[in-house]
Amino acid sequence: MENKSVILIVEDEAGISNFIAAILKANDYKMIKAVTGKEAISMTASYSPDLILLDLGLPDIDGMEVLKTIREWSTIPVVVVSARGHEREKVEALDLGADDYITKPFGTAELLARIRTGIRHSPKNRSENALESTSLRIGELAIDYDKRLVTVGEKSVHLTPIEYKIIVLLSKNIGKVLTHDYIIKEVWGPYTNEIQALRVNMANIRRKIEENPAEPQYIVTQVGVGYRMVEELDV
Amino acid sequence: MVDFSDTRPNPDDILEDLFIKEQNKKGRLEIFFGYAAGVGKTYAMIDDAQEQLRCGVDVLVGYVEEHTRPETIQIMNGLPILAPKMVEYRKLQLKEFDLDAALERKPELILVDELAHTNAPGMRNKKRYQDIEELLNAGIDVFTTVNVQHLESLNDVVQKITHVGVKETIPDYVFNQADKIRLIDIEPDELLRRFESGKIYRPERTQKALDNFFTRENLRLLREIAMRKVANRISSDNQNEPRLSKKMANIRLMVCISASPSSARCIRWTDRTAEAFQAPWTAVYVEDMDSDAMTDGEKNRVRDHLALAERLGAEIVTLNGHDIATVIAEYAKLSGITNIVIGKSRNKKSLISYFKASLEEKLIAMLPSIEIHIIPGNPGIKKNALYQRRRLRISRNLFLSWQDSVKTLLIIVAATLISLMLQALNISDQNIIMVYILSVLIISRVTVGYLYGVLASCLTVLVFNYFFTVPYYTLHAIQEGYPITFVIMLLVALITSTLTVRIKTQARLAVEREHRTEVLYEINKKLLASRDFEETIGLINAYMVKIFGRSAIFYSQDPEDHDSDTFLQSELEDDAAFLKSESERAVAHWVFMNKKCAGAGTDTLMGAGAFYMPIIARSKVLGVIGLSCANGVLNQNNRLFLRMIASQVEMALERHYLSNEQRRILVESEKEKMRSNLLRGISHDLRTPLTGILGASSAILESGSIMDQETQETLINNIKEDSQWLIRMVENLLSVTRINEGPMNVTKTPEAAEEIVAEAISRIRKRFASRKITVKVPEVLLIVPMDGTLIEQVIINLLENAIKYSPEDSVIAVEVKKTGNEAVFEVSDQGNGITEQDFPYLFETYVPDGKRNADSSRGMGIGLSICRSIIKAHQGKIDAENKAQGGAVFRFTLPLQEM
Repeated sequence: MENKSVILIVEDEAGISNFIAAILKANDYKMIKAVTGKEAISMTASYSPDLILLDLGLPDIDGMEVLKTIREWSTIPVVVVSARGHEREKVEALDLGADDYITKPFGTAELLARIRTGIRHSPKNRSENALESTSLRIGELAIDYDKRLVTVGEKSVHLTPIEYKIIVLLSKNIGKVLTHDYIIKEVWGPYTNEIQALRVNMANIRRKIEENPAEPQYIVTQVGVGYRMVEELDV
Repeated sequence: MVDFSDTRPNPDDILEDLFIKEQNKKGRLEIFFGYAAGVGKTYAMIDDAQEQLRCGVDVLVGYVEEHTRPETIQIMNGLPILAPKMVEYRKLQLKEFDLDAALERKPELILVDELAHTNAPGMRNKKRYQDIEELLNAGIDVFTTVNVQHLESLNDVVQKITHVGVKETIPDYVFNQADKIRLIDIEPDELLRRFESGKIYRPERTQKALDNFFTRENLRLLREIAMRKVANRISSDNQNEPRLSKKMANIRLMVCISASPSSARCIRWTDRTAEAFQAPWTAVYVEDMDSDAMTDGEKNRVRDHLALAERLGAEIVTLNGHDIATVIAEYAKLSGITNIVIGKSRNKKSLISYFKASLEEKLIAMLPSIEIHIIPGNPGIKKNALYQRRRLRISRNLFLSWQDSVKTLLIIVAATLISLMLQALNISDQNIIMVYILSVLIISRVTVGYLYGVLASCLTVLVFNYFFTVPYYTLHAIQEGYPITFVIMLLVALITSTLTVRIKTQARLAVEREHRTEVLYEINKKLLASRDFEETIGLINAYMVKIFGRSAIFYSQDPEDHDSDTFLQSELEDDAAFLKSESERAVAHWVFMNKKCAGAGTDTLMGAGAFYMPIIARSKVLGVIGLSCANGVLNQNNRLFLRMIASQVEMALERHYLSNEQRRILVESEKEKMRSNLLRGISHDLRTPLTGILGASSAILESGSIMDQETQETLINNIKEDSQWLIRMVENLLSVTRINEGPMNVTKTPEAAEEIVAEAISRIRKRFASRKITVKVPEVLLIVPMDGTLIEQVIINLLENAIKYSPEDSVIAVEVKKTGNEAVFEVSDQGNGITEQDFPYLFETYVPDGKRNADSSRGMGIGLSICRSIIKAHQGKIDAENKAQGGAVFRFTLPLQEM
């Protein structure tokens, strides 16, 4: 236990922050709590936590503002806690540099999974294993970046350049939600609105790599927000 | 018992009245009324204003005349004064009242001298009383002054007494509707003394005024008239109140209008009489054949007369017909007129007038039961005008065209050939004459105007003379009877040709009238059939363009706050996009605020490029019609027609407003009902799990130490389950709030159907990991416009429902397909299906007591009803049925294209 990760919980509801604290403690994390946005900013500066769990509804300043301020000088992973139905808020937070989001109400397992992913992909950790991996494997799906080859099981999958671009983009950000706008900008370039094209390409990719496109295993949809490539398959 | 039911006003009406009054609170108008200049009106007005100022009222002196006396200026001390607007007109600097500045400053009370003043050209309104009406409409109280000779209805009376014509007049309604009249009165002798001491006009003008106007005799008469006017007002005020100013129905006056200047007098006389009798009155103008031939001056005069009558409060009617007397008599009979007023001038004493019955004689003969009043007109009407008119009328009918000349020649040649044939057959001369007369008749029928008829008759006489009279082939007539034959032929030809011309004109008039009636009928029919507001407005514009050949614009809301204009370009005009410009919108805005016509051809904002008319129903402006005047202003006829159409439009628009209102109320109450049902439904449902959570948690807290591990875990599990249920319930309720009012209020974005289904299933899987769910989506990506979150909620609800009502180990199938123009989503289970008694209430929020399945006390009854609301908001359909092989299918469809 020499290197416990420090998590900053920014939440004004005592009930929720209590139970999150209990879970984190039980799972060997160190945590600090902030109740207001200003407190959150100053604590981020002084403690430099490994991850921030940020509730968007704060008593003093808007959570978005907190996010913006932190992103001005820090790349600490931020997981936004938001209510269901506020898709626009989530997209906005992701576009402002949040790493992930979690929807209230959430279960223990979900919360821990997000925190794990967040910490694993934080720039700090990434620089440690600086050698970019040349391949990726999730379940049956394998991507070889050098050979530009995608296989499912033994079968190689033939993808169009755009489809390949999308799948690589998602795999490089594995576990992270990428918003529609972000993917479009990365694949097609700025100033385009190819949301329809993105959907069609995504449907094609799924038909090629998923067993049942209506029950995708590898790339899941976040309705109204974007897509995420899963890190580990659900059992 | 006394029955008050008839006389007592309905309290609702009064409240509504008050409400309307409160909404557009008008300012009060107080008029300081005098019988001549110098009686001290302005002084009294300013004195009163000083008093108001002392009482704390926000007073502003808007405008006081230049020639104000020093004493008056002295007492103005301390009153804030509005700077006059300087207007240059013909190199003269004129001071005018600055209306816009006053409206902007918005005092409580404003003083504006000289109500009857005519504004300099280029000002917004032609007359000052219009400025004052705007001030009143803006809720500002106004003090103003006026002299008796400026009242429209008394104008001619005063003129007769003083022999001085007064051009600046105000309509009587301004005077009658004033909230307060203050009569400022001094003895005529005193006034004359003031005059002589030069207190009123400067000395050089004083002498002139004394000679012409200010004689003791004149002043005495004017004073009497002024006092009587005020006294009349008081007595009519007293009479009016209890009866709510219902006009007496047993007397109806009608005045006949012509281009003659004496018509104005008839109109004023009728107005005074109507006022005295409290009777309604109508001004009638008959368009006959001469109307076409009128000079521009005459046309303008007719328009002025009609405008005058309208200002004085008459109903305006234009009739068509050849014989004025018959038309008037018919109209009078039909509309229950009891008194007819006509003007008569004794100037055309000619031979014909002895044989021709005059208008009044004809009317008396035709209408024995109606009283006829004859008002003598000014003698000395220019005879020239009559001649001019006759000349014009004749020249109008003298057309020369190649077509008609050829026709005439051909017919005469044909007649001659026939006659030659007849002669060869030895048939007598009389028949030949008949043939020629027939030819003249035909010629006047097929050609335009008199000319060819007359020419043909002369020509036929010559031809007849040449071919058929002895000696043949010369133009000599030897036989004795021939000159008589010629004369008769000529006369017959002339009479027939004039007759046919007249018939043709009448036929044209009749066709025009017919067309008008037809158009009105058509508009009425179409407007009645139109379903929504947009359609109605489209129709109105289309008809405006079709009928008047002008581009039209329609504002359904005040252009200052809303963008509600509908514009239609006419093909007959150049680009009329100027109608949408800022300045034109300002005119439309003015019309909205002041509920009056404005723009080109009116007294207000005449610089505008279009004529604007408000559509008013129940003192509310429902819309403003604008007609481009790029090709000239609308004439009286057009305006009348426009007004007729406007009344139809008004009814149609009001109908729409009312039905919209009703629909809104219905929707509102429906929504209210739904909400309260929902609340009633859920408050019970919420209480159950909350009780469970509270009970379980307090049990653990209070006696956790004496409980065994297993019991504690059961209780904690219960808490978890109950909370999960609560969360689902809250998510459902949140979905409902996403659907706003009305059917069109979900924000649809194109979503891939399979993604939505996948998300819903993955959420369900998390909760019910053990259940088997199969999914089938089409091979081709199906993009459906929807609110993804809401549709996901629907699928989740349907899946939960299926899970609940089917055995643990059975399979639940989800399928998406495309049929025609719809996406179909199906959720089917292998349970027991839906019972017969549940079917009717499946998607209802509120289930009547006792009919509710006992099992569903915690069920998704609300869930299904929310599904229905969501699908309905997407313009889709949802239904359920039992499968033949067992189990239930819930199916909903979403339209693929936006409707």
